[in-house]
Amino acid sequence: MKPLRGLLPFAVLIAVWWGIKIGAEVPDKLLATPQAVWTSFVGLVSHGILAEYASASLRMIGTAAVISFLAGVPLGFAVGTNRYAARALEGTLRFLQGISGIAWLPLAILWFGFSQTTTLTIVIYTLIVPIIFNTMTGVRAIPENYTLAMQSLGAGRLRIVRDVYLPGALPSIVVGMRLGMGYGWRALIASEMLVRQGGLGDLIFGARTFGQIDRIMVGMVVIGTLYIVVDRLLVQPVETLTVARWGVLRR
Amino acid sequence: MGDKIEVSGFRHFFQTEGGPVQATGTIDLSIKAGEFVTLVGPSGCGKTTLLKAIAGFLTPSEGRILCDGKPVRGPGRDRGVVFQELAILPWRTVRRNIAHGLEIAGAPKAEREATVARLIGLMGLGGFEDRYPHELSGGMRQRVAVARTWAADPEVILMNEPFAAVDAMTRLTLQEELGRLCAATRKTVFFITHSVEEAVFLADRVLVMTKRPGTIKAVLNVPRSTAGGRDWDSFTSDPGMQKIAGEVMHLVHAERV
Repeated sequence: MKPLRGLLPFAVLIAVWWGIKIGAEVPDKLLATPQAVWTSFVGLVSHGILAEYASASLRMIGTAAVISFLAGVPLGFAVGTNRYAARALEGTLRFLQGISGIAWLPLAILWFGFSQTTTLTIVIYTLIVPIIFNTMTGVRAIPENYTLAMQSLGAGRLRIVRDVYLPGALPSIVVGMRLGMGYGWRALIASEMLVRQGGLGDLIFGARTFGQIDRIMVGMVVIGTLYIVVDRLLVQPVETLTVARWGVLRR
Repeated sequence: MGDKIEVSGFRHFFQTEGGPVQATGTIDLSIKAGEFVTLVGPSGCGKTTLLKAIAGFLTPSEGRILCDGKPVRGPGRDRGVVFQELAILPWRTVRRNIAHGLEIAGAPKAEREATVARLIGLMGLGGFEDRYPHELSGGMRQRVAVARTWAADPEVILMNEPFAAVDAMTRLTLQEELGRLCAATRKTVFFITHSVEEAVFLADRVLVMTKRPGTIKAVLNVPRSTAGGRDWDSFTSDPGMQKIAGEVMHLVHAERV
């Protein structure tokens, strides 16, 4: 029953779309019918085209997520455990958060050309800033008493990192990861539209050239759906297994 | 000298933007091995500063602190600390929190389990071994904090208003439990509180501090007829105890801020 209730708003959305299409008699070159989009979807799937473009996007976000996590978490720790570094970098990080990944595209294209490297750079940049920022905030929010208590139990620095800092910062790392994946996915699609080296952004931007409105809309639906799938299948289970069980969930 | 803790000429200043602020006056004190000493004084008198210095969390501006004749240079497992709140780890179950000190010391599994089981029994935590702290009441959490410190088996235990954040009814139970635990283990305990009753109830010796910058203005011995005889019923009906509590109250009252 529960997954069905979650799908209901989508059914309403499709009904509204259909209603507008028929009621306002919107021409086919501006808005495709749900059936046309479905037919286009089936076609793209059966020729393996959709799999090709979607897997390119997923590979890219996956690579960027792994690199950003591996680099961002240690960086966040380094900054978060050092009061002076934290104060100095907080402003810089906020400044960088203001310059979206897309705003780096002109520069990145000049540096790396219309290549996968350009897209990867943009996505990592977008993903890593919220990860660093949230890891840093998480580390700094750990009560000092936890560390003091560990020292009085004879714990060394490594032990404290493992037993206090890592689990203590995990809720914030998860938040950073979720935010980063959301921003990163958007930046990825935008970059693909300009770089035109595969991916769902490339698919929908290419379809525009030929006025294939049904294909554009298939691409958009897939982009939205894949984001939900990635978030539900990857990030949420981590959260329920750890953070929620400890009763330290932060939103 | 049988002194476990020796504080001589201790004085502390905090550095602030507006210059140094004096946190305590000059303090000298010594605590004998196996003694339960409570320190009572008004808020802001420097009780916590003194405890932190003994724990090794801060370096005294003046004076020196010895533990077993050796200068204190930082926190260590010879001096366990029980905080007022927020000190057991939310991501560890009751069992793993209590075992933490032994885990750090690399004690064998059998020893860890035996110690944890004993303390769970002593602190009335049976049935909660696999719960996480957020599933426990405030009183239960403090029992875990106390058990964790005892499990690590330090020679000295420093307690900073450990029961201040729990409700009054639970506090009475926790105080009796602590009394029994101390009678059973003979630890050297330094206990800070702002409650006169608590100070007299638990102590072999009560120290009274003046208001900030605090110094020790009085020392009162609390004679114990039986080592384990710490319960509120006999305490409240014992005229000797009530007399001491009255004296301490009088001394503390004069230091109101």
